Amino acid sequence: MTFRRRSTFLKLTVPLLVFAVVLGTLLLVNRAPDSSAGGRADPRADLGPPPRNTQELIESLQRRVRAEPGEATGYAQLGDAYLQRTRETGDFGFYVRAERTFDEALRRDAQNVEATVGEGTLALARHDFRAGLRQGERALLLAPETVRPYAVIVDAQVELGRYADARRSLQEMVDRKPSLASYSRVSYFRELNGDLRGATEAMRLAVSAGGGTPENVAFVQTLFGDLRMNAGDVVGARRAYGEALASDAGSLPAQAGLARVDVARGRLAAAERRLRRVTERLPLPIYVTPLAEIELVRGQRAKAAGDLDLVRAQRRLLEAAGTRIDVDLALFEADHGSPRRAVRFARQVFAAAPSVRSADALGWALTRAGRPGEGLRYARRALRLGSVDPSFHYHAGMAAHDAGKAPMAGRELRKALSLNPSFSPFHAQRARRALRRLQ
Amino acid sequence: MKKLSLLAAIAAAAIAVPLSIGSSHREAPNISLDPSADNTDTYAFTAKNAPGALTVVANWQPNQVANAGPNFYRFDDDARYYVNIDNTGDGRVDVRYRWDFKTTVRNRNSFLYALPGVKGFGDPKLNVIQRYNLQLERISRRGGRTTIRRSTIATKVPVAPSNVGTKTFPNYNVFTAGASRGLRGGGRTFAGQRDDPFFIDLGATFDGINIRKGTGNEGEGREDIAGTNTSAIVLQVPERQVTRNRRAVGSPKAGNSVVGVWASTDRRKLQLSNGNFDTRSHSAVGRRGARTANRFVQVSRLGVPLVNELVIPLGRKDQFNRTTPNEDAARYGKFAIKPELAAVLNALFKVNAPENNRTDIVQALLQGLPGLNEHKGFAKGKAPAVDTLKLNLGTPPAAGAENRFGVIGGDMAGFPNGRRLGDDVVDIELQVVAGFLKGNKVPLGDGVDRNDKAFGDTFPYLALPQPGNDAPGRTEESHAPVPAGGS
Repeated sequence: MTFRRRSTFLKLTVPLLVFAVVLGTLLLVNRAPDSSAGGRADPRADLGPPPRNTQELIESLQRRVRAEPGEATGYAQLGDAYLQRTRETGDFGFYVRAERTFDEALRRDAQNVEATVGEGTLALARHDFRAGLRQGERALLLAPETVRPYAVIVDAQVELGRYADARRSLQEMVDRKPSLASYSRVSYFRELNGDLRGATEAMRLAVSAGGGTPENVAFVQTLFGDLRMNAGDVVGARRAYGEALASDAGSLPAQAGLARVDVARGRLAAAERRLRRVTERLPLPIYVTPLAEIELVRGQRAKAAGDLDLVRAQRRLLEAAGTRIDVDLALFEADHGSPRRAVRFARQVFAAAPSVRSADALGWALTRAGRPGEGLRYARRALRLGSVDPSFHYHAGMAAHDAGKAPMAGRELRKALSLNPSFSPFHAQRARRALRRLQ
Repeated sequence: MKKLSLLAAIAAAAIAVPLSIGSSHREAPNISLDPSADNTDTYAFTAKNAPGALTVVANWQPNQVANAGPNFYRFDDDARYYVNIDNTGDGRVDVRYRWDFKTTVRNRNSFLYALPGVKGFGDPKLNVIQRYNLQLERISRRGGRTTIRRSTIATKVPVAPSNVGTKTFPNYNVFTAGASRGLRGGGRTFAGQRDDPFFIDLGATFDGINIRKGTGNEGEGREDIAGTNTSAIVLQVPERQVTRNRRAVGSPKAGNSVVGVWASTDRRKLQLSNGNFDTRSHSAVGRRGARTANRFVQVSRLGVPLVNELVIPLGRKDQFNRTTPNEDAARYGKFAIKPELAAVLNALFKVNAPENNRTDIVQALLQGLPGLNEHKGFAKGKAPAVDTLKLNLGTPPAAGAENRFGVIGGDMAGFPNGRRLGDDVVDIELQVVAGFLKGNKVPLGDGVDRNDKAFGDTFPYLALPQPGNDAPGRTEESHAPVPAGGS
């Protein structure tokens, strides 16, 4: 009796474990966390409850891959959770973990779609857009009816400057599933094409759709604020950044957005304080450079020099670590470092990914290196989609100015300032000076 | 000093992590989760206190905890939420109900959801309020032409808000009673936060202990959904509004007695192309012609519980969610008739679950059981396999206590004849996949038998949402082994 009972128990327990893991996995996918609630301090929660934030999701998936070490999907989802954690913390150590985890998944199942999408996303984050495109296309071949590979494909095509392909892929993506992920990409594509109102409408839909994590929602709320800012609606932008912070109190992009609002309102000291706090958390060039520029405008040369050194030190370290140069570093060198190095960087960036953003950076580097004729050629390439990015027009205007093409210079500089008079306190000043010289 | 520490931080990050950082390229999220649109559970039953009416519960946004603020759970104002009825059995919608939500923020300068002591929906202390209009749509198809007739049956109904806590909502129960409204043409509607009625032992699976006691049906499972809330829509309408001849159901044998029910969500389509834009555009946009077409596409649906989770392979889920039940047999029939799960169980552990030709599963979950909830007008056992919850409106509600095993437990008013809130669909489907209907009665179960909170006897039936962060989960009490079928 005892024996029979025991064998029944074993016979049932193991298959049920398989069932439960399958069911648990699927339910986890379908009923996953969507709350910013902090850690639960419930001593009775001895076993994994449904995770309520990315950290809990990571812990839950770690338990799962331990329980089911032969199964690929758990590893793929754990890799995705690490990628999300990078977004939330700025701790790029999670990238390395994500890479190892996706590798684990693909070792168990070379055809695993989620892990392939994950590797593609990771390649994009590392600015290897060609590898990202390959992975995205591979994932789509493996699972032609799914949506997620399209996000990787679209992002890669946009960064590679393949806009006609990107348009087709993105239309297919949003036809298959309108959601935060696809709406926000439609918005960016429209923005790149100069359709600010269409971009705003798509981003509004992305915000309304919401997402699985507060960081994702705060991210699109911030982008919505940026679009309002570019449309000259400072009040609307301020509200959007505030809503982003209400979704995710730790959102650094939203804090940087509020700093832009401060700049637009002429409150440079407040903007400086805010950006200072942001860079203390995360000293990225996209935050440190504007901080230094505000300090320059405020006449705090020593402080600015210190911050600019920070970017340089960071660049050297990254370079030593074999990182890919990106557009931001090329622009930084053009504005605050060595224009010749900027040209070298920008050529690398443009060769790897000939997007309008790369063309803009290369054009600006050439202009700053004293070759405004060539600079203007690339500035025109940057504007070919009809971009309404004030800095693109500023760069084109300055190139035309230096190349002696006064009418175009006046047109482009006025355009930059009319799109957003405070697009950069530092460069707006220069644009106004150049305009005065033209008159 | 500060500079030094910053440099040290960068050095640590950069040396440890040979990766590029500082990207300004747009790293938009690529999430597979879409909680505001993804349906999680659908229920359809005849309520004991409402004979002659169809009652439907449809849920979105699971795992809500009450302290999630300051942004709380809302329906998506730009999505359309549907409860669909097929009254002929072809898997096409004949009658559907559509909820359109609109959020109002009373004080745009405040990011607060509500101030303490909210008395009613009109109280300005309630800063964020969502309301909806409910439309009834009748779809008719003649000679390839589809006609939709719409009528509005409720307007500006308030949504029961997230239960932030007893300070903000001193009397949440009384307060949200105002979220239940009567409908033009009869019936009631409710939308808003409630306790998630789904129950399962989910967490244990990840520690590899899944069955905590005996064969799985002896209790002691831990209900992991306990204490979490969901965004629910509850609808109760007179049967004559949904039956094929628009008459009340005379008996379980009546030709109009069976309806198929599922919930779905649509989102707005967007066009990228510069030409050929839709002139019905709801907003005039941009000189370059990127238009927001006033068209919608289905992004999620849910009929029979766990079909999406257990039958549809991962690579087909997106497709499943954008297609309609009338295409199910052709697209997904093969996954149900030869369920991977049954094969896995047998290959490894010999529980004698039949692996092939599982017409019993197709019948129980997708076609309806002949003589019970199979649509009338087809030869016995020949109704199309469609993923809808098929409910015979003529089946009287259980006279006494409901049996959580539903039909396999001898209680004909339960799952898969519709689905009641208390039906233990995890245990039922486990046993059905193991071959219960083919005589292979294995007492499988997850050890959780019921929801952590009791359901109400009256509309909207769901339990009140859990306030605050007091979400401990619930452990099933120990009880004697329950044989297969629960009898």
